[in-house]
Amino acid sequence: MSGIAAAALAAARPTGPSEASLLGRTSPLVKLAVAIAWLTGMTLSLDPLPPLILALAAFVGGALLGAIRLRRMATWMAPLWIGALGIAAFNALFAAANADPAAVEAFRVGPGRVTEPALIAGLALGLRVLAIASVSAVFVLTTGPTRLADALVQQARLPARFAYGALAAYQAVPRLADDLSDLRAARRTRGLRGGWHPRVLLGLLVLAVRHADRLALAMDARAFGLGPRSAYREVRITLRDPAVLGLGLGALLLALLAGGTLGP
Amino acid sequence: MIRARGLGWRYAGRPAPALRDVELDLEEGACLLVAGPSGSGKSTLGLAIAGLIPHEFAGTWSGELDVAGMSVSRTARARLAGATGILFQESAAQLVMELVEDDIAFGLENRAWDRPAMQRRVAGTLEEMGIAGLARRRSVTLSGGEQQRVALAAVLAPRPRVLVLDEPTSNLDPAGSAAFYDALVRLRRGPAPPTIVLVEHRVDLALPLADRLLALDATGHPIAAGPARETFASSGAALAAAGIWTPGEATRRLAKAMASGGRARRNGQPLLEARDLGHRYGDGPPALHGVTVTIGAGERVALVGANGSGKSTLSRLAAGLLAAREGSVRLAGTDPARLPARELPHRAAYVFQDPAVQFLADRVADELHVGLRTPEEHAAADELLGRLDLDRPGLADASPHRLSGGEQRRLSVGCALARDPALVVLDEPTYGQDRVHHETLVDLIRGRVDRGAAMLAATHDVLFAAEAAERAIGLRAGQVAWDGPTAALFADVAARAELALG
Repeated sequence: MSGIAAAALAAARPTGPSEASLLGRTSPLVKLAVAIAWLTGMTLSLDPLPPLILALAAFVGGALLGAIRLRRMATWMAPLWIGALGIAAFNALFAAANADPAAVEAFRVGPGRVTEPALIAGLALGLRVLAIASVSAVFVLTTGPTRLADALVQQARLPARFAYGALAAYQAVPRLADDLSDLRAARRTRGLRGGWHPRVLLGLLVLAVRHADRLALAMDARAFGLGPRSAYREVRITLRDPAVLGLGLGALLLALLAGGTLGP
Repeated sequence: MIRARGLGWRYAGRPAPALRDVELDLEEGACLLVAGPSGSGKSTLGLAIAGLIPHEFAGTWSGELDVAGMSVSRTARARLAGATGILFQESAAQLVMELVEDDIAFGLENRAWDRPAMQRRVAGTLEEMGIAGLARRRSVTLSGGEQQRVALAAVLAPRPRVLVLDEPTSNLDPAGSAAFYDALVRLRRGPAPPTIVLVEHRVDLALPLADRLLALDATGHPIAAGPARETFASSGAALAAAGIWTPGEATRRLAKAMASGGRARRNGQPLLEARDLGHRYGDGPPALHGVTVTIGAGERVALVGANGSGKSTLSRLAAGLLAAREGSVRLAGTDPARLPARELPHRAAYVFQDPAVQFLADRVADELHVGLRTPEEHAAADELLGRLDLDRPGLADASPHRLSGGEQRRLSVGCALARDPALVVLDEPTYGQDRVHHETLVDLIRGRVDRGAAMLAATHDVLFAAEAAERAIGLRAGQVAWDGPTAALFADVAARAELALG
């Protein structure tokens, strides 16, 4: 039974991250830096235009530089677009600015009026969520967990024990879903109800600890953490890293300029 | 290469030693078979030879153990790990990296090899082990057999001088086990083979490989040691009495079961009716497709097929633990997945492959009573605990999770039999069982079945299937590929091969 959820997960991700593309070969740390710069940059502006430009830039960049197939990107992004739209609508409808009689009315929804300032603030918030989600999606779709761990160890000097320990634990996540359904099924076979009974959670903890113990033992048995380590895959800094960094920061600058944040 | 004098080990918090007074002399390149009933300290000895005991475990060490010229108790783990490798039975818990290729490189990275040498060795190992086609696969997408061959390749890549194998094929189907042992035979014929310490219940699988034998009894005490075949010939009776399979025994019993088998016992009303049954997990490929079978009341059925052929899925659907996504299942006329929880245990019982998932009590003695309602049921449960050999003081009060693998298995079968279900469904019931406990289990299950219950047992254990079931259903890629008398299946070479029965 073990591995059924794992197999389902693998089937749902048939191709894995597009690692052969320009973005795929860029150091994950550079992509992370661009994402953080975008996040910080967006807090500088309350205008809807910069996050809209960045969301589009993430989409186009993911497609052209990340070679993510449009279909795949669309399946990832569609829920994000819907979610962002929901956030924008909610915030526009229920904003305090709608009660301000001096504000210009944009349109009416039944008895309620939606004012222009409320509409703009709602849109800005929704688009910011969208931009953050899009850049994260492009990061995930172009970065394999192994490459991220390699970069964290080789370039960010993170301890190998932590990075590869986390990577090994990540492999075990689908197993946890199998364990949970087993534990619930086990209660059912004994005439008890499953659900989120405390016993189920306790059992899950027991199984997770047992699995972690075995994994740690297997890693130790393979001489992990006993001395200096070498790396099978090298994460090298090449010209494409400053190029991606420049493109990313350039897009941010353009977006902020277009929003008037940095203008006179 | 390995030398032990008066070696003993007691785990912290345990009253008795797991291993005592072991004397051992093994020359370079030899293969030692370690045999013994469950709880005899076989795995403990393996962990000590691999240098994990005493360094990674708390407990008390006694005596001397030298491996590759180093005293295990007095040498740093880093130096020991350089010379040894160990393969455990659960392959999924030892694949560390995401991709197969990276997993093979993992042990080399830990030994700080330089990159070109590492690339050559990874490619060479993949080639030697016949798994070059898997290099870029993600480990979680591999079958159990593939995972275990990758895990072996990963342990072998740094060329350890001593290789410990702890029941390496108990999770594999017979064809997968045979392929694994073939790889080991090739390894031993190659240049500079490692010294191998092999812990294995199934003596017939191990004997073509082993030239030395060390047999331990249930208290961790050596009862026989010497050249493998000669020692089995001279002390066979003593070994059998201690719960160890002897060479050829399983084959002889299989032949006997086949000769006496073949009579159908389809006496009762239809109990389980599956029509066009299909299932898939998430968006994955179909795990089961178009399965139509009927099992009568009191019928004993073995469900066989390769790893991943859909055995577990069909068993879960039959026991009402999974709702069918295509087609229908009826258990005595009702869909078992829709039965209220209180009624299900009287219709169907289920024994999981991993016993640890099904324990719900804090004490072994309480485990059988979970969910019971009438005084008669409680009295029967107390009696059952004795028959499972789990009513000893110290054991009955322990947590079920502290039991050995064999003890856990017995307890989990006991839980399923504590009530009078119409259908008993078992997933690999004899997995990891020694000879004596194999008998206990078969007897227990038979006893319940003889009182009228039907049995559906998913199993890789050919002997169990032949002795405990008159009918076999064979699954291949989620579809029924065989349905008929068990004896006829084992006599049909082509069908056996198709179902990975070897």
